[in-house]
Amino acid sequence: MSAPPRPVPYDPQLLAGLAAFRELVEPFPLRADTILASRAHFAKVMPSLDAAIEGLPVRAEQHRAPGPPGAPEVALTVLRPRDPVHGAPGILGIHGGGLVLGDRFFGAGELAARVVQFGAVAVSVEYRLAPEHPAPAAAEDCYAALVWFARHAAEFGVAPERILVSGASAGGGLAAAVVLMARDRGGPALAGQLLDCPMLDDRNETVSSRQFAGIGVWDRYANAAAWTAALGARRGTESVPAYAAPARAAELAGLPPAFLTVGSAEVFRDETVRYASRIWAAGGRAELHVWSGGYHEFAGTTPEAEVSRSAVAARDSWLHRVFAR
Amino acid sequence: MLQPVPFDPAVAAALSTLPETEPTAYTAAKLPELRAAMAAQFAPVPAVIGDRPVDHTEHIVPGPAKLAVTVFSPRGSREPAGCLYNIHGGGMMLGNRDMDTPRLVALVLELGVVAVNIEYRLAPEHPDPVPVEDCYAGLLWTVENGARLGLDPDRVVVMGGSAGGGLAAGVALLARDRGGPRLAGQLLLCPMIDDTDTSVASRQYAGLGPWPREVNRAGWAQLLGERAGTDAVSQYAAPSRATEFGGLPPAFIEVGSAEGFRDEDVEYASRIWAAGGRAELHVWSGGCHGFDLYAPDAELTRIALTARASWLQRVLGS
Repeated sequence: MSAPPRPVPYDPQLLAGLAAFRELVEPFPLRADTILASRAHFAKVMPSLDAAIEGLPVRAEQHRAPGPPGAPEVALTVLRPRDPVHGAPGILGIHGGGLVLGDRFFGAGELAARVVQFGAVAVSVEYRLAPEHPAPAAAEDCYAALVWFARHAAEFGVAPERILVSGASAGGGLAAAVVLMARDRGGPALAGQLLDCPMLDDRNETVSSRQFAGIGVWDRYANAAAWTAALGARRGTESVPAYAAPARAAELAGLPPAFLTVGSAEVFRDETVRYASRIWAAGGRAELHVWSGGYHEFAGTTPEAEVSRSAVAARDSWLHRVFAR
Repeated sequence: MLQPVPFDPAVAAALSTLPETEPTAYTAAKLPELRAAMAAQFAPVPAVIGDRPVDHTEHIVPGPAKLAVTVFSPRGSREPAGCLYNIHGGGMMLGNRDMDTPRLVALVLELGVVAVNIEYRLAPEHPDPVPVEDCYAGLLWTVENGARLGLDPDRVVVMGGSAGGGLAAGVALLARDRGGPRLAGQLLLCPMIDDTDTSVASRQYAGLGPWPREVNRAGWAQLLGERAGTDAVSQYAAPSRATEFGGLPPAFIEVGSAEGFRDEDVEYASRIWAAGGRAELHVWSGGCHGFDLYAPDAELTRIALTARASWLQRVLGS
């Protein structure tokens, strides 16, 4: 085994934010035997829904959608503008947390901000976590939420053809999976897929996955532990379905426009670049941004850095472009 | 037949107004005519600047080639400024430095930098390595004359679009390998770096878009002659040929998803990262080659220019 490749350095403006984020969410490393403790810690440090939407002109409602065949109902939080909307864009938001932790209120503040910014209606989905519920249970729950959202779009003032799927990290991987399901099953036509530092590939074999071993947040070892929780002995074998790890998809044609954004200094860099490249090779629409020196989730957790401001501006531009169509 | 990535709607609208050029027109015999027609479209420097507070001076890089250089400075600046050393595009066989005056004047105003715009000699009259060596000579002149030009020689970014992006990448490799100036960055806009024309993207844009595969092949053939596509091509001519990516200045690589250079540019960024280097990559959805020039009012152009300025602020400091 050769020495690990030299990592890409972090942007100096991100160093303090990286240290703080790591201290907040990974005070101890995520491993098979710390998943439940990590989940409990995460639940404790994440802001509540009320705190996330405080002061915003947004209403939160709780709903339940029929679950996937043979599975329980799926809990949903709908975030809508306080004033009624018509023909509005819709965002299905899928939270992150390595497929093993987090809940639908994680990231609700970000979703609520998009609701205000775009006059959109957002749905945040509570999906089942690994290892108790192996893949693709989570993706199936998210797909059930999408079907429910599309069916009830008019009740919320949403134009069904303006719904896009969005997620960061594990949520980005699940968003990509939901989009594949919608294509393959003749499901709802989607306006786009917003994949923020997405977790797409269970194999953990890229250069970037080896460069970020033991450094940063969500390093190689945490990623391996999470994928093993989701896939068990199947991880890295030929029997991993695309809905569990979208990098495994054989065919990436016929997908809605994608926005892929990732830091250059993180595990998911290369798999994100590869996913975009495969969409283009199939003649599909994808925008890719790899931000110099960005760590995993840098833009949301160090928003004051110049690179984060630029990343947010690019994302908002893409949202304007896809919602304008 | 490979399915191409579709153009952004605003880009497609802009492209539909362009006159068609036969790819077969890019022969050595036709180049003088094409160059003259192109040059006629570029406004002279004073007309581009208008009443905006930018000064410009003309210089000659000493040497047998007597290369012309235009230097743009923000009016009234006193502190040594960051510098953009610019190399124009045109497939190594076309264009002149006036084509980039609008882009440079805008950056001088926005960022308070000095811009140096080099007139290098073109192929096929001056085949490889003349263009990249001219550009390197101009860089050395810029750094040596930094004090009198009002620029900080430690804050020089080499930049260029298309062939200029390829030459900028080549200059960055030369500066590293010859122990030349320590560059603050390399801003590579849809850079032309791979003479093999073997990528998926290069095949998706055969006969399509403002810089189709056939024209690109003509450019490489003018620059490299019979060496094009063979193992005899230098990394300084076609930077995709480089094998060592350590020790390069931070890179900014921008390209459209709907153009022939997409994959070679993504690959170049990926190889810099694999070596532990600093690179930022933007692949704009539906952007054609040089989309910011063809569709200046598109949202895609607005945000692409924002991302460029953001990166330049990060590497040059404010």
